[in-house]
Amino acid sequence: MTDAGFTQVLGSCAGVLILTAVLQLWRRSLSGSVTLLALQGAALSALIGTIGVAAADPELIGVAVLVLAIKAVAIPIVLGRTAAATGARREDAPRINPTAALLLSAVLTTVAYLASRPILGAAPDAAQRAVPVGIAVVLIGFLLLLTRRQAISQLIGFVVLDNGIAMIALLTAGGVPLVVELGVSLDVLLVVLILRVLTGRLKHVFGATDLDDLTELHD
Amino acid sequence: MSLLEVGLVAQLALALLAVTAAVAAPTPLRPLLAGGATLLMGLSGVATGALALGGRTGIVSAPLTVGLGLDARMTLAPDRLGGLFMLLAGAVGAVAALYSVGYARGPAGSRTGCAAFAVFLLGLQLVPASGDVVAFLLTWELMAIGSTILVLAEHGRRDQVRSAGLWYAAMTHLSFLFLLAGFAVLTVAGHSSSFAALAAGRISGDQAGLAFVLLTIGFATKAGLVPVHVWLPRAHPEAPSHVSAVMSAAMVKMGVYGVVLTVTRLLPGGPRWWGLVVLALALPSALYGILQASVTSDLKRLLAYSTTENVGLILSAVAISMLAASSGDSAVAGVAMVAALMLTVSHAAFKTVLFLGAGALLHATAERDLDRLGGLVRSMPRTAVAFGVACLGAAALPVTSGFAAEWVLMQARIHGDSRDQLTSALLPAAIAVVALTAGLALLTFVKAFGIAFMARPRSPGATTAHEVNRPMTAAVLIGAAAVLALGLAPGLTATAAATALRSAGVVGAVGAATTTSAAAAVGTGAGWGVALPGIGAHLDPLALTLLALAVTLPVVLVTWLLARRHPRRDVDLVWGGGGVRTSPRMPYTATSFAEPLVRVFDDALQPTRDLRVTHAQESRYLVQEVSFHQHLDDRVEKSLYRPAIAMLDRAGDLARLMQNGSMHRYLGFSFVALLVVLVAVAW
Repeated sequence: MTDAGFTQVLGSCAGVLILTAVLQLWRRSLSGSVTLLALQGAALSALIGTIGVAAADPELIGVAVLVLAIKAVAIPIVLGRTAAATGARREDAPRINPTAALLLSAVLTTVAYLASRPILGAAPDAAQRAVPVGIAVVLIGFLLLLTRRQAISQLIGFVVLDNGIAMIALLTAGGVPLVVELGVSLDVLLVVLILRVLTGRLKHVFGATDLDDLTELHD
Repeated sequence: MSLLEVGLVAQLALALLAVTAAVAAPTPLRPLLAGGATLLMGLSGVATGALALGGRTGIVSAPLTVGLGLDARMTLAPDRLGGLFMLLAGAVGAVAALYSVGYARGPAGSRTGCAAFAVFLLGLQLVPASGDVVAFLLTWELMAIGSTILVLAEHGRRDQVRSAGLWYAAMTHLSFLFLLAGFAVLTVAGHSSSFAALAAGRISGDQAGLAFVLLTIGFATKAGLVPVHVWLPRAHPEAPSHVSAVMSAAMVKMGVYGVVLTVTRLLPGGPRWWGLVVLALALPSALYGILQASVTSDLKRLLAYSTTENVGLILSAVAISMLAASSGDSAVAGVAMVAALMLTVSHAAFKTVLFLGAGALLHATAERDLDRLGGLVRSMPRTAVAFGVACLGAAALPVTSGFAAEWVLMQARIHGDSRDQLTSALLPAAIAVVALTAGLALLTFVKAFGIAFMARPRSPGATTAHEVNRPMTAAVLIGAAAVLALGLAPGLTATAAATALRSAGVVGAVGAATTTSAAAAVGTGAGWGVALPGIGAHLDPLALTLLALAVTLPVVLVTWLLARRHPRRDVDLVWGGGGVRTSPRMPYTATSFAEPLVRVFDDALQPTRDLRVTHAQESRYLVQEVSFHQHLDDRVEKSLYRPAIAMLDRAGDLARLMQNGSMHRYLGFSFVALLVVLVAVAW
């Protein structure tokens, strides 16, 4: 792979990652959100694979396959089934409307670029230039967590957040050992599975999966 | 390995043994085995303390971190002053451990109770052995944790125990916080955490002032001075009696040790205002403590307030010493400091006996309200004798340790004619406060002994009381003997105190007397009195006692012989008209005895009284029943702590607005925190 080609692929992957994150803010349909999440997982996997091929590191390619299996296939399937089981179709009333959320995501992306300046140093290489995108994905994932009321939307926000973290770790540390990535990915899968069960219970107890019902549990 | 080091290690080993015995021994044997090991630990503390007091040196040092590559160590290196306090703590602990063999049943004798007692005593004995800041704070906390567990021992039986435990834990932590801050300032200013290096470094200026204030607040909280005394009247009554004895007689003294350590070793030669600060804390404590003690009817609460009073007296002596030293009067400074240490030793002796005696009363009658005791002198003669002797000591009457100590204190005050105007105006005021305190103390302990042991039993518990078992009586009698011995031979304490202060370089003005003058008159050997050549005063209680006996014995003998010729006729009450009409309700109760005092100090005490008169149905002029209830709140607590606690409560309620249970809000906090960090990084 040529150097220019490497940069092109890297940039495209990063672009898809942040685009899917921003679109999450805009989409209200849960099934659409799950599809976007799968796409994002695939983009993350492609990013890891690209770096692995460029560095000729078989371990990184293994990580890419693992990420593809978990984040692009397993988690979306689990989430899709949860959505179907709980009967939730749409995120009806997010805390801020999509227009405001999109504007906010622009602000957050700016903050991410400003904040990563001191980290990047004077002459960043192609991989490091994509770090602000990772930070932006993390912040947008957080924003999803903050604004969505449905339990499944929360899960989606959580996975977006985790994708951002994985991306930053990959780009700054120049790759993650297979063991670490294995642990983290399985952790995320486990969290998703547990939260799925909790969502089922939530539906069972309250008849809906709106997290605002949970405030009554305080004290 | 020097003998002193062996002693220090032996204390650790015996503490371990006691904890093992407490955990492993079967229930019937537990008090005996754990108490025995704790007794041995106390005795080893006495021996080690005596060695250190005698000038032996030794260092036990242990690494605090293992495998971290840090060179953090804690050092135990007692000096003479520390030796005196270790001796004190060990002696009190040994007597209390002996008592616990007979007393520790139920929660106090549980595995936790016995183990915590050993840990508590270990911390207590090692605080004065500490040679650096780290060791001091660690052993201090060991002491605090052990005592907190013990205060909570009976939480299953009474609800007040939990509240007492909470107050105690909060105040103890407050104390620790101030100590930590104070020692941190010292360590930074002196570039070392070792006491020896700090003493050699001569820290001065603002840093020394700041460290002094922080340390004084911390130590005053542990010592129970007003206004940070509030834990004493709660924790002492609720703890098991042998624990309250150790807390009051030895643990509170660690606060005194801390103050003396600060002003003689770590930060000697401070400016005049330091002395004024200590005096301003000490005198109100003495007065307030004894005033509350004189009007309360709960025996253990009375003793707790009396502790505040005594610590106030002790620290007022320290303050006089500091003031005299700053105006260059080294003789008075020395005598006052010796008086402080003598008062400390004397208070430790009699307060141990008083709390152990109160425990015996509680054990025998299940009552601790003086209004419901009475007549115990017949059913519990040995306890009564010991308690009486200790009461004499607490009231500072002759032939007891309290008298000798207060005499030295008075000498220091009377001779403290300072060139400094403020000090010379304050000293007479201080003398007046001490005089009033002494008078009130006399009333208080007349009440404590008279109401509890004299007259007739006022409750079923007091009627069926029986003498307590042997270890308990042995412990109180040993303590009472110590009170008498220290009173008859105050030279011992005075010499020990002067020796303890020699390492601190304070004293050259005091020495023990070997007088022959008065003692020779009755033909015994040398006396054991105390002489203060620096200010030209001299006291030999043993000789005076023998002289007094020589004068009074013939009179008593003659009276007795004469009385034998006219045997006494037993007559029932003269005003009984031939009938026996004595009821337990007729003699004074504790409340009625203190009633004049409550009236005199009405403004200061502000009691709430509830008087209910029920009239007979037939006529309004006939009273069927009168019930009287009087409640005395601690005014400092009411006006200082209640508002503070209410304010904290409100702050807590406000904080609850933030924590409303909404998951989104919590996520928002993290999100904002993350953003702030990112923006700060970008800046």
